[in-house]
Order: sequence, then C-alpha cells, then structure tokens
Amino acid sequence: MNIEEYISSGIVESYVLGLASDEERAEFEKLCGQYPELVAARNSFELSLEKQAFDNAPKAPVSGKQKFLDFINQQPVINPESSKIIAMENTNASKSSGFRWLAAASVILFIVSGWLAYKFYNETVTLKSELQNTKDEQAKLDNRLKTLEEQQRVINDPKVSVINLTGMPKAPASSASIYWDSTSSNVWLLVKNLPQLPNDKQYQLWALIDGKPKDLGLFDPQGDNKIMLKMNNTQKADAFAITIENRGNTGGPTLEDLQTMGKAKL
Amino acid sequence: MISKITYGEAELVALLQQRNNQAFTYLYDNYSGALYGIINQIISDRESASDVLQEVFVNIWRKIETYDISKGRLFTWMLNIARNASIDKIRSKSWQNDLKNQPIPDDVNMLEDQSVKLNTDSIGFKKILGKLKEEHRSLIELSYFQGYTHEEIAKGLSIPLGTVKTRIRTALLQLRTMIEQQ
Repeated sequence: MNIEEYISSGIVESYVLGLASDEERAEFEKLCGQYPELVAARNSFELSLEKQAFDNAPKAPVSGKQKFLDFINQQPVINPESSKIIAMENTNASKSSGFRWLAAASVILFIVSGWLAYKFYNETVTLKSELQNTKDEQAKLDNRLKTLEEQQRVINDPKVSVINLTGMPKAPASSASIYWDSTSSNVWLLVKNLPQLPNDKQYQLWALIDGKPKDLGLFDPQGDNKIMLKMNNTQKADAFAITIENRGNTGGPTLEDLQTMGKAKL
Repeated sequence: MISKITYGEAELVALLQQRNNQAFTYLYDNYSGALYGIINQIISDRESASDVLQEVFVNIWRKIETYDISKGRLFTWMLNIARNASIDKIRSKSWQNDLKNQPIPDDVNMLEDQSVKLNTDSIGFKKILGKLKEEHRSLIELSYFQGYTHEEIAKGLSIPLGTVKTRIRTALLQLRTMIEQQ
C-alpha cells in the first residue's frame, strides 16, 4: 500500500468526521497501528478541526452547566467512586448491623450463661453438701462397721472372757457385759441396759482388785445403737462395777450409787 | 482556547473515566462552547441546540469508558457524539412535527432542495463550507450535517456510489485545506 496516497485520499478526514463506513474505519484503525505517519496525519487534522471549533465556538447557554452538574450529582450509583463509597457504606452497614447482631447475641449469651452458672453453682453447692453428707455417713458407717468387727472379733476371741454385770438393788433393770482379755489386759464394755442420766452425770466402770476400786473409764449412756466400748486396761480384776458419778469424776467411786456389778471368774 | 486547558488530555480522560465530577465540570467549562458550535451547525434553534448540548454531555458521561484515546482525540470523539445527537434530533418525529413544512425527506430527490436552504451565514465550519463548489457542498451537507449514508445519497441523487465517495473525499480535503488556512 502506498501510504502517502492513502493519507491524501480523504480517508483521514472522512474517518475523523465520522463519515467513513464500518469497513473503512476498521481498515483505517488497522493501518494506524502500522503507519505512524497515518496517525500523525489524523492527529494533525483533528487538531485543526479542534482549533477551528474552539476559535469559532459560540457561548454555550449558561443554564446547561447547572443542569448537567445536577445530572451527574444525581447519578451516585453509576459513578464508580460513589458506588465504591456506597459499597463501603453497605459494608459498614452490614458490619455494624452484624456488630449489632453480635452484641445482641453476646448479651443473650451472657444472660443465658449467667443463668446456667447460677443454676450449676446451686447444683454444685447442693451436690457438695450431699457428697459431704454421704462421706460423713460413710465415715460413720465405716466407724460403726469397724467397731462391730472389733466387737465381733472380741466376742469370738477365745482368750476373752465375758463377765455379766447384773442390776444392783438401786437399779435392778440395769445390765452390762464386760469382755476382758486377761492376756492383753484389754477391757470392753457392752451396755445392755442403763438408764439415761442428767447431763452432769456419767457412768463409770470400775475394776475391784483386792477390795480396791480401779478406774476403767467414764462413759455416757448410749442410745439405741449400743456398741462395745473400749475401756481402760486392767491386768487384774476380782469384779467389775458401774457407778453413777459426776461428769468427769476424778475421785473414787460413789458406791451407794452402784448400778451393776459382776464378779470376774478367774 | 486549547491553551487554557490545564489538564493533559490523557489525565483528563482518566479522571472522566473515573466519573470525577470536577473533571466533568472542567470538561463542561472548556468544551461546551465548541460542542454547542458543532450542534449549532446542524440545529440553529437555540433552545433545541441547548437541549441537544445537554444530551451530549449526558452521553459523554455515560459513554466515556468506550472512548479509546488511541483512535483519536477526545474532542473528535465528543464532536461525533454532538453531530450524531444533532442528527438524531432533526430526524426525530417531534422535530419533524415542529418543523411541519420542512420535513426531512424520505424521498431523497428532495435532498437538493434541502441543500439549497443551507445557511452560509453560519459560523465556522459551515461558513467554510459555503466556499466549496455546489456539487461538493451539497454532498457534505447531506452526509456530514444530515447524516445520510453514501449509499442513500447515491440513490437519492442518482449518482454512482463511487462518485459520491470520491466527491465527498475531495470536498473533505478542500475543507481541511480551508480550515488549516483559517
């Protein structure tokens, strides 16, 4: 192609003024990519045309500008900058609405968890108390079992002899048994029936050795759960006797209050 | 006028394509007069031309992404928008109803009568156009100012298409020379 001929054919002017056909336009644009002089010719005519238009430009009606500005200001959605802002606002809105939901959810969660904590705390307190009761009960039962086992062992021990203490004239219904291991000197007392005493009184077990009393220990009358009481040891005993004494008695026996007595069968 | 432009064209185009309001204000301030002149060449009625100018700026605003700087200058692109909007206006039903006695002829035999009505007192481009030979002037008038295709003109004036094309190009080259000498 002779590009000079092409340039001077009028195609440049035809193209710039919008009079070229679609095929002519396509060809022109393609050739512009190949011939810088074609672009230069186009640009030159464009500048002349532009200069001519500006030099002869009338004053545009004043009202139009504000109308146009009003128009573009009313187009926030199509405006990419504004739409960015709108997108951000939407994001913010959804963020803040999300935050509101989060806040609401956390308040609900706080209330629910507070209620649950309160409920669980109360349950824990109850369970702890119940557990302690159970433990206490267990300990009591353990002790009782141990005592009963001990009692059983004592009763079944061939070395242990049993001395029945029978009611004296002052307390004919009273009775008790002494389990006495003369080898080990251990003395156990099993109360069968002894009346309740005033709070300032206690029963006291004595061993009578050669007519002299030996303190084998003070004890309180038991309720229904009668168990064998471990008393003080004694190597020797001619007889055992129970008297009523003042609480914490340290003196000798008050023999006029002799309740029960039994002779050791040695 | 061009010397007043403080934006580089590429910079202005970039801002316009970002829908920068300031750039559009600048565009209106600097280009509305020249574009109004383009419109005036086709529509002499001030009010209608104003409406078209408004339409042109809205179209520029809407179509600015489609502008390709490699295919020509921004003003050329806008000039063609202005020209097309003006032609659309004079071809619209409402325009033809308003004119009543001056319908744009479907019968292209009336084209020559139309071209005779050319106002050679018009400013700028059209003023230059008046200096052309009649056979060239009417073809420019029909193709550029009234938007008829070469085929329509060839058919309407009973001239071979090749001749229409050659004459128009010759006319355009003469116009260019006159514009550059102005």
